[in-house]
Amino acid sequence: MTSFDIGLLMTGLLLVLVVLGVRVAFAAAFTGLVGMTAIFAMRMGFERGAFTAIKMAGTIPHSKSVTYALSVLPTFILIGYLAYYAGLTKQLFDASKKWLGWLPGGMAIGTVFATAGFAAVSGASTATSAVFARVAIPEMLEQGYSKRLAAAVVAAGGTLASLIPPSAILVIYAILVEESVGKLLMAGFLPGVVSVLIYVGIIMFMAKWQGGAPSIGGFSWAERFKSVPGTLPIIGVILIIFSSLYYGFATPTEAGSLGAFVVLITAFAKGMRLKQLFQALHETAKLTVMIFTLIWGVLVYVRFLGYAGLPEAFKGFITSLDYPPMMIIVMILLAYAVLGMFMDAIGMLVLTLPVVFPAIMALNGGLDVSAVDSVLGMSGAACAIWFGIIVVKMAELCLITPPIGLNCFVVSGVSPDIPVQDVFRGCTPFFVADVLTVAVLVAFPAIITWLPSLI
Amino acid sequence: WNVSLWGKRRAFTEHVEKLAEEVAARTNGDFEIKLHYGGALSKSRENLDGISLGAFEIAQFCASYHPDKNPSLSVTELPFLGVPDLETQVKVDKALYAHPAVQKDLARWNAMPLMSSPMPQYNFLGKGDAPQTVADFEGMRVRALGGIGSAMKTVGAVPTSVTAAEAFQALDSGTVQAIAFAPHAHLAFKTIEAGSWWTTNLNPGTVNCPVVVNKDAYDLLPDAHKKALMDSVDPAIDHYLATYAAVYDKFYPELEAQGVKQISYSDEELAAFKEKAGKPLWDAWIVEMDGKGIPAKELLELVQSTMAK
Amino acid sequence: MATPQLDAPQTSSAPPASLVDRAVTLAENLLNLIAATSILLLMLLAVAQVVGRNLFNAPVPGFIDITEQAMAVFAFLGVAFCQRLGGHIRMELVLGTLKGRVLWLAEVFGVLIILIVVSALIYGSYFHFERAWEFGDSTIDISIPTWPSKVLVPFALSILWLRLALQMVAYCKLVLDPSRPIGDLPHTQNAAEHAAAEIEDAFLQTDMHLHSAQPEPHQSAAQQKQEA
Ligand code: NA
Ligand code: NA
Repeated sequence: MTSFDIGLLMTGLLLVLVVLGVRVAFAAAFTGLVGMTAIFAMRMGFERGAFTAIKMAGTIPHSKSVTYALSVLPTFILIGYLAYYAGLTKQLFDASKKWLGWLPGGMAIGTVFATAGFAAVSGASTATSAVFARVAIPEMLEQGYSKRLAAAVVAAGGTLASLIPPSAILVIYAILVEESVGKLLMAGFLPGVVSVLIYVGIIMFMAKWQGGAPSIGGFSWAERFKSVPGTLPIIGVILIIFSSLYYGFATPTEAGSLGAFVVLITAFAKGMRLKQLFQALHETAKLTVMIFTLIWGVLVYVRFLGYAGLPEAFKGFITSLDYPPMMIIVMILLAYAVLGMFMDAIGMLVLTLPVVFPAIMALNGGLDVSAVDSVLGMSGAACAIWFGIIVVKMAELCLITPPIGLNCFVVSGVSPDIPVQDVFRGCTPFFVADVLTVAVLVAFPAIITWLPSLI
Repeated sequence: WNVSLWGKRRAFTEHVEKLAEEVAARTNGDFEIKLHYGGALSKSRENLDGISLGAFEIAQFCASYHPDKNPSLSVTELPFLGVPDLETQVKVDKALYAHPAVQKDLARWNAMPLMSSPMPQYNFLGKGDAPQTVADFEGMRVRALGGIGSAMKTVGAVPTSVTAAEAFQALDSGTVQAIAFAPHAHLAFKTIEAGSWWTTNLNPGTVNCPVVVNKDAYDLLPDAHKKALMDSVDPAIDHYLATYAAVYDKFYPELEAQGVKQISYSDEELAAFKEKAGKPLWDAWIVEMDGKGIPAKELLELVQSTMAK
Repeated sequence: MATPQLDAPQTSSAPPASLVDRAVTLAENLLNLIAATSILLLMLLAVAQVVGRNLFNAPVPGFIDITEQAMAVFAFLGVAFCQRLGGHIRMELVLGTLKGRVLWLAEVFGVLIILIVVSALIYGSYFHFERAWEFGDSTIDISIPTWPSKVLVPFALSILWLRLALQMVAYCKLVLDPSRPIGDLPHTQNAAEHAAAEIEDAFLQTDMHLHSAQPEPHQSAAQQKQEA
């Protein structure tokens, strides 16, 4: 048996363990450990091989977790938890409603903008949907909006949180593929805006042709301007995070910390108590340790893959296929869409990227290829960023598709009289919108690659 | 055999490439040395750990990444040793690696030194007002780690934490005003594009990056393979020096092309800097190393005498 | 999607937790509190770094070294806490279709795999710490010793090991007698239950993690609907 055979065998084992419901981080670490044992055992006998593998694997949790770039994660997660206490949800919705309510489907459009604004302080899609379900849906229903639209716009709007920085999943992608965290975060912004615009277009279209989405007017300019100051902390956080990424006066960790600090102060000003702060910190710590465990667990497996040479082999296989590269990429994206229906977005990315990413880069002509020499018209670095945004958008898409689209269940869970089937049905147009967004991003990669190219 | 390297293939790793090539040629392909880049087998700072476990047989690392893992090697990282060129650095490293104290130090990790990856002196690339005198460094935020950071502190500079990957942006944005790297790193991290001045002769120090072999694996080699490995070292180093020279050939034109001003300090100024950051830091180092049971004075004298030869 | 098999035992009250269980739970809560506090401190340190550097030309010396070493606190200490609450992600596609004894057997299998790998990693990460301790290892910039942060890995994994052992025993008991109450064991959630847990997290409205010994996710999902 060769190292490569062991690689294939272990990858099969990992798949089986994950499908059987073994927690992904440990399933990956287990397979990596068994695989390394097998490979070392071939060279130095079983006993020494096993001990070498165990000691090797034992270095990975610490060495891979204790990496400065990863320190941004808890700060981003914390901002999201504190944002709700800072009262930003209500303020954002109120302002968007007053400014945009007069449009056809204005409340729904306002909700999209409010969720996008909240996305700028939160990296968690489901949490964004949860908080807006409570704030926006009752008001929309009161104004005569259809249940399906009201629920769906909140479910779909929530998915913006992973594209618009801060975003934990983009940080994880950046670390896994060894790209700049700052560039990935910058790259998510315009695609987020494109998503918003396409959502707005779909809403206006539905409001015109289907009804059930009345415009609400009658707000004076004074009322509109009065609604702005409440959103200032958000604008502050956006300014801090963007300007530090763009001008580089602070690293992502520092920017995330500054942002969290601003939101923390706002939350205290809004009456958050110390006990609630610690609840937020507890939740942050729980999510943080989950992500770190997932990362080092999978990296034990990736270390084994390095010995087995599997990524090289998959790269060779993909590049040898006799199909146009773009078609292969679209097939891979479709595979992600299917996988995403059954798996958590972060877990899915972390598990697949070590093998898929090198193949994608090879399809484009290599990590260091220049835009001119590349297959897809993007330099290696630009392609890495482009693929990251597309994949994250695909993963987010799965939050609003059956059977387990979590955002839909969350919205239904918060809204007692909206059955989840209605939310799924209401999401159909937004699903179309998302597919359209992905198509636009594939057709015009500059939307993704332009902003990061400036830093 | 597997080799653990970090980063991409570059001038800094060319001697290992050449080594693998030479060894294969000398053994008719019997002895295969496989290079793994990008930290695939270990993070750079854990390469010595990996060697000690026998998880791979060859690794490259830099002594400054973990001063306490290899205290004896830090002698070549002292400021103002005055190593004039890479050829001399090779000689110095060879003598140093042969010293029992260094061998003992590395043997703790089951490692034996094979060859060096000689590095030129670090120098500063900065943005903004160029420091015309060494005193102008006072209050300047610089990215300079470990020993170089300590040396710069003696002239009032403020060492500031920035990762290498963020160096360009940090310099561009003014988070730091100057960055100490070796020339190839200034090219690789594109700091040249952000900077406006370069110190040609401040020479605050460098790092020592040996290539080491797992001792047990070496002992198990058939004699012919041992010989092939050892005979390949000199050609590998020659190849490295040639490649590095080519990097230098690119460096100065690139400075010109980017309009980076080259600053040289007068001998008196350097002497004054050396006065503050040379001898006192050497003495402090000797005291610290003696505490760890390293024959520090002997090592320092070895470096100096080898250099004089 | 339905997982009715859980409904029956869920409503009856769980037996009082064993002394070991309570001790481990207490340790987990405490460690997660330390992890949580470290995140707050990291945030404040980073704010100090930006302010110090930009306004007073006084950056925190060795900020990156400090941050990296301190990261081990929040990267590892909460790992057992997270396992107790079922926070480590998994795919429940197949698990969700299982019932009764078969389900508990699958859970036993899942915990067994983790126990094996965690046992090995405790051993391996202990050696990683031991090397740093015996041979010496320190950070690149300001030479902080790395062993204190390295020792946190085998330590946190040992607490996880205890939690896993407790879960193993409890799941085994359920295999023998599926009508037992499941107590605070993590169990499969259908999408609606998963959503309910996410909602609770989003609003931070439950502090069951800190106080109650037996959270009842099914009931809280129902309560959620009534409340809203
Ligand atoms: Na976000
Ligand atoms: Na999904």
